[in-house]
Amino acid sequence: MALSGMRGLAVFISDVRNCQNKEHERLRVDKELGNIRTRFKNEKGMTPYEKKKYVWKMLYIYMLGYDVDFGHMEAVSLISAPKYPEKQVGYIVTSCLLNENHDFLRLAINTVRNDIIGRNETFQCLALTLVGNIGGREFAESLAPDVQKIIISSSCRPLVRKKAALCLLRLFRKNPDVVNVDGWSDRMAQLLDERDLGVLTSSMSLLVALVSNNYDAYWSCLPKCVKVLERLARNQDIPQEYTYYGIPSPWLQVKTMRALQYFPVVEDPSSRKSLFEVLQRILMGTDVVKNVNKNNASHAVLFEALSLVMHLDAEKEMMSQCVALLGKFIAVREPNIRYLGLENMTRMLMVTDLQEIIKRHQAQIITSLKDPDISIRRRALDLLYGMCDVSNAKDIVEELLQYLGTAEFAIREELSLKAAILAEKFAPNLSWYVDVILQLIDKAGDFVSDDIWFRVVQFVTNNEDLQVGNNLVEMNMTCLSFTMTIELQCFIFLSCQPYAAIKVKEYLDKPSIHETLIKVGAYLLGEYSHLLVRRPGCSPREIFNLIHEKLPTVSTSAIPILLSTYAKILMHTQPPDPELQKQVWTIFRKYESCIDVEIQQRAVEYFEMSKKGAALMDILAEMPRFPERQSALIKKAEDTESDTAEQSAIKLRTQQQTSNALVVTDQPPPINGTATVNQLRLVKVPNMSNSDHRSTDQQLTHTDGMLTVVDPELPNSSADLLGDLLGPLAIEGPPATPRDGVPIEDALALATVGEQPNSVQPIGNIAERFNALCLKDSGVLYEDPYVQIGIKAEWRAHQGRLVLFLGNKNIAPLVSVQALTLPPSHLKMELSLVPETIPPRAQVQCPLQVINLRPSRDVAVLNFSYKFSAHVVDVKLRLPAVLSKFLQPILLNTDEFFSQWRSLSGPPLKLQEVIRGVKPLSLIDMANLFYSFNVTVCPGLDPNPNNLVASTTFYSEITQAMLSLIRIETDPADRTQLRMTVASGEPALTFELMEFIKEQLITIPSNPRPPPPVVEPPNIPAVSLSDPVAMLAGLM
Amino acid sequence: MPVAASAIYFLNLRGDVLINRRYRDDVEGNMVDAFRMNIMQTKELGTCPVRQIGGCSFLYMRISNVYIVIVVSSNANAACGFKFLVEAVALFKSYFGGAFDEDAIRNNFVLIYELLDEIMDFGYPQNLSPEILKLYITQEGVWSPFSSKPVDRPVPNATLQVTGAVGWRREGLAYKKNEVFLDIVESVNLLMSSKGSVLRCDVSGKVLMKCFLSGMPDLKLGLNDKIGLEKESELKSRPTKSGKTIELDDVTFHQCVNLTRFNSEKTVSFVPPDGEFELMKYRITEGVNLPFRVLPTIKELGRTRMEVNVKVKSIFGAKMFALGVVVKIPVPKQTAKANFRVTTGRAKYDAAIDCIVWKIRKFPGQTEPTLSAEVELISTMNEKKSWTRPPIQMEFQVPMFTASGLRVRFLKVWEKSGYNTVEWIRYITKAGSYEIRC
Repeated sequence: MALSGMRGLAVFISDVRNCQNKEHERLRVDKELGNIRTRFKNEKGMTPYEKKKYVWKMLYIYMLGYDVDFGHMEAVSLISAPKYPEKQVGYIVTSCLLNENHDFLRLAINTVRNDIIGRNETFQCLALTLVGNIGGREFAESLAPDVQKIIISSSCRPLVRKKAALCLLRLFRKNPDVVNVDGWSDRMAQLLDERDLGVLTSSMSLLVALVSNNYDAYWSCLPKCVKVLERLARNQDIPQEYTYYGIPSPWLQVKTMRALQYFPVVEDPSSRKSLFEVLQRILMGTDVVKNVNKNNASHAVLFEALSLVMHLDAEKEMMSQCVALLGKFIAVREPNIRYLGLENMTRMLMVTDLQEIIKRHQAQIITSLKDPDISIRRRALDLLYGMCDVSNAKDIVEELLQYLGTAEFAIREELSLKAAILAEKFAPNLSWYVDVILQLIDKAGDFVSDDIWFRVVQFVTNNEDLQVGNNLVEMNMTCLSFTMTIELQCFIFLSCQPYAAIKVKEYLDKPSIHETLIKVGAYLLGEYSHLLVRRPGCSPREIFNLIHEKLPTVSTSAIPILLSTYAKILMHTQPPDPELQKQVWTIFRKYESCIDVEIQQRAVEYFEMSKKGAALMDILAEMPRFPERQSALIKKAEDTESDTAEQSAIKLRTQQQTSNALVVTDQPPPINGTATVNQLRLVKVPNMSNSDHRSTDQQLTHTDGMLTVVDPELPNSSADLLGDLLGPLAIEGPPATPRDGVPIEDALALATVGEQPNSVQPIGNIAERFNALCLKDSGVLYEDPYVQIGIKAEWRAHQGRLVLFLGNKNIAPLVSVQALTLPPSHLKMELSLVPETIPPRAQVQCPLQVINLRPSRDVAVLNFSYKFSAHVVDVKLRLPAVLSKFLQPILLNTDEFFSQWRSLSGPPLKLQEVIRGVKPLSLIDMANLFYSFNVTVCPGLDPNPNNLVASTTFYSEITQAMLSLIRIETDPADRTQLRMTVASGEPALTFELMEFIKEQLITIPSNPRPPPPVVEPPNIPAVSLSDPVAMLAGLM
Repeated sequence: MPVAASAIYFLNLRGDVLINRRYRDDVEGNMVDAFRMNIMQTKELGTCPVRQIGGCSFLYMRISNVYIVIVVSSNANAACGFKFLVEAVALFKSYFGGAFDEDAIRNNFVLIYELLDEIMDFGYPQNLSPEILKLYITQEGVWSPFSSKPVDRPVPNATLQVTGAVGWRREGLAYKKNEVFLDIVESVNLLMSSKGSVLRCDVSGKVLMKCFLSGMPDLKLGLNDKIGLEKESELKSRPTKSGKTIELDDVTFHQCVNLTRFNSEKTVSFVPPDGEFELMKYRITEGVNLPFRVLPTIKELGRTRMEVNVKVKSIFGAKMFALGVVVKIPVPKQTAKANFRVTTGRAKYDAAIDCIVWKIRKFPGQTEPTLSAEVELISTMNEKKSWTRPPIQMEFQVPMFTASGLRVRFLKVWEKSGYNTVEWIRYITKAGSYEIRC
């Protein structure tokens, strides 16, 4: 640049650079800006040279970060200058200072266009650069054809065409419709025949952008791409300046392969063949050399080729060749290549049948785990995690555990989480799992999240009868036929729980252990130490001492667990050991005044309970099974998988393997349904103790009468324990109780759900949910293991607005969701669009408009269907848009009522009927029932206390507001029959309302709403003829 | 409560530490980085002199190209801290011979460390008087007892000085010519609306004294302030003299002034320290004689032109004159050019501060020069930004004029030897923040 010619600019820049601080700089810049303003203002006297100089200064000031809000005009005007130096500064400053939204650019468009279509190629380049840099809509619209023309013109030099291709690429990115698909695809194909590699590279960039948007139109380019690749790979006709360290234009190779990856398949057999040939050549021809630059280039090509191979789903042979190549890379000294090798191998895991081949390199990968570079270690960890399956889990997990001891802190948390997940997913048997996790906690206690040890406790609790391992059992069975030693026998019947207890005890025997291990140990020993009683050193007192010596070292979060353990040990000590009891009581006493409320509560409660002696047995019985859930660990791993390198391979596998994860544990069905329900209740609604085996001790304590206060709290506290064991796990379970007021039997229905995933059963009684919703405005309409439909309604006169809440309860999306309303003729319904898919754990709201045209009792139906994995669920649900929703209560006084009553005389406006078979109800209950469907009972209008008089307003589009009057005469002797009279100004309404109330009276919902303030039917004293009540009686 | 400074830092404008002295261990040595990161490198610099970062308070001020920062971690008396800083700077200046800047600090590291040790102890300010400190922190070499020449001067005894009855004055001073210089310096702060009504106006004044007197003289100063005059007339039981009396607010005296006598007799009597000191400070809010009135008219004619007319009227005696008058008339940022016509002085457009600067070197009383300017603006991209019209600022000095009307009635010097003294009295009025909205 001709800076040397501009002394003023040089002086200014050196002034600014010499400023000692920001303040001086600002003063200097402001001064210069003032100067520039003055110069620009008297433009007449400004030579092109001066103009150029000041615009450069302006740009410099702008680049320093100051606001330059003038002088754009001058910059733009320089574009049209005839000489190169001025034109150049004009273009540069314009593209820096202005963006696509500036109005000034309009002034420039024409000049720019002239430059583009002009003959001077320097100017063409400048103009194309500007258009590419700014690339607004207006530029795109007015200049794209010219740019396209340049690209394909044969008269332009390659340099210009190159720039034009890039310029078009930028315009396309901003504004995809500048490239007309029909016309351009042929030309694009034509462009790929270009011999000049520079133009070809630029066009390939353009092609990548185009096919990423829409590959369909560019099928014709596919064979050409293959041809280009062929040409490059064979090193034919490549000019010297386009070879980089002997590799023919690696950039073009990479881009071409990238473009090829956007096409779903390569169908044409001949091009497929030649493509594979090329890929083969790349795979074979790449090796690690000394030169870094050459390595970079060749590996860029190679890795792109690998992903193309994966994309094309090549034959296994080629794939295994790729893996072999990667295996070579991960053994190389150069860390970058090792990293890339591991990363690509992880990606390779996505291809299904490659695992076996990858496993061959397991040893090498495990060595990478000890690499000095942490990023490589992370990749190796990811790869190991991804490639782990049942066959190699034991090795890998053990390797991870070993590595855990030496790993640095940055990676430990991830490492321990992954080891725990793998152990859980691929455990060959439970004892191994317990061993691994305990070892894990021992080695990296600080990095073991609570989820991990919750999970151990869950497994141990849920697998009481399980033999140590299926394969072990098998082995033992074969052994049995030969010899049957005593040890073996013991081994077979050594179930998981005592095994875990022994293991834990071994760890607790160590002098210093991590707090998490103390927690696990305390819990497990509390639950199962009585199973060990016969062993040496496992008497209750010894166990107690073992745990108790850890008490001073633990934090407050562990103390409650220890207290529970003491209580349990105490309970299991049969016959009671007064010494031990005294010791434990002292501890409970001590903690009775603890500041931590949880500890305090437990201490007080356990102390009181432990006084009960034998009854303690029932209260502190073994923990029931935990409900099976998806492992929180796996979920956590899914959540944390934001690392792009891990790719979807791992996610894919977790999805595959949720089913076979610990199949062992899923098998034994719960003893009976109620037990499961009970657990759920404990988790979710701790205060309700309605279980079968609890009821005995409930009765027991109730007969005592003494412990009534403590008893309801017992499940509470044990549920708390479960709660803190399960806190994070509790999310997954199906909701324990339906929202409000739905009878408890519903919960029973849900107990079976987990066991029969194949037929999707609704949770709860749909009819009862409907009936409940007829009486209230929000609640659950439908629920099954996958979806929950809630409803919320607002009613105003004859219109209503319902919102359906469609909630996906699962971690997989629900697809092909459809909801259709089938309205009866009297309702007009508009359901807004229901999305096809409901994402995992998301809730979708669908508003629904309802307009009531005329009175009718017909009910609208919602046809709801969805697909979840293999199940297609299609349900028809009644929508609670019933007659009563269009009623509004109105309280009438005597005069109003009678004038209306009188004016409506006889059928069809007034109908009377004697109804039999009514559910017996007291008058107050009946009044409440009426209230619940918006009919007001008007007290004091009827002299007979056994009669009810009620009124309401009905809204519909035809009738608008219509007053309706109802009179019920009951017979105190026989409550199953009554006489009802209904009157309104519309025959249809009278009839429908009558029938509606009849239905309601005969089938009363099981739980009417809690009574609103209800009017007692007053006692009316003497009757005289002038009394309105008497008049009423006369009228009837 | 005193300052309890934890540390003092001297930083240059780039934020490099020139000198620091930590008095307590309750702040980390890297707290100054917090100052640099969170104050110096942000726009907040200079907006608020006390800032709190990370549990520490930073009291800072800028003197020429040096930032002095006091770091305190407790609830300190900020005013005391700043007073300490001002006094310390005055002390340094008297040691360095007037200049206090980065170079002066770099050239006097040892001296400054010595002084910092002396003027503050465990974060509490100590003696800051230059006269006393100069007795034992000297810049000359100290005679070694082994050197050939015997010490002929007595070793100065600072303890006696500091603990004595008149701690601020040494005994046995002798001058050939006994002189007293008294300066009354007032600065006028004004904010006036564009229509000429006074929104805020006050005068803060200082009485500065320079004494070259022998022995232990007792001085008595009489001003024409209201209380003093009333008391005097009461004492002498004669009617108050006609003439203007001034009501002084917020009077503060140097420690040498005998406050019991001031309270009982309302006379300012004192034994002055030797050399220069500030005898008293005061503030006046009522009855201020403004030296100048400014009548601006600024018209925006469309987007690219502005017309500015400013008339400045001097309203002090015709025989007096103001010196160094500068009127800064703000113009919009996009000003490109300005053409001026002025009756006196010179005007130019200063782009660095976005002002028209009109300078008049000598401005006689009772005159009214005018400036009229045509300002051309350049068109900008963001037209919507309207101009905020900042106020016109003025700088000036008017000798022999006091905006408050304060006069020295007498200055009596009494010494037991009864020598004659020469008293010199000067008045000067300066502009503080003298702003007129336009």
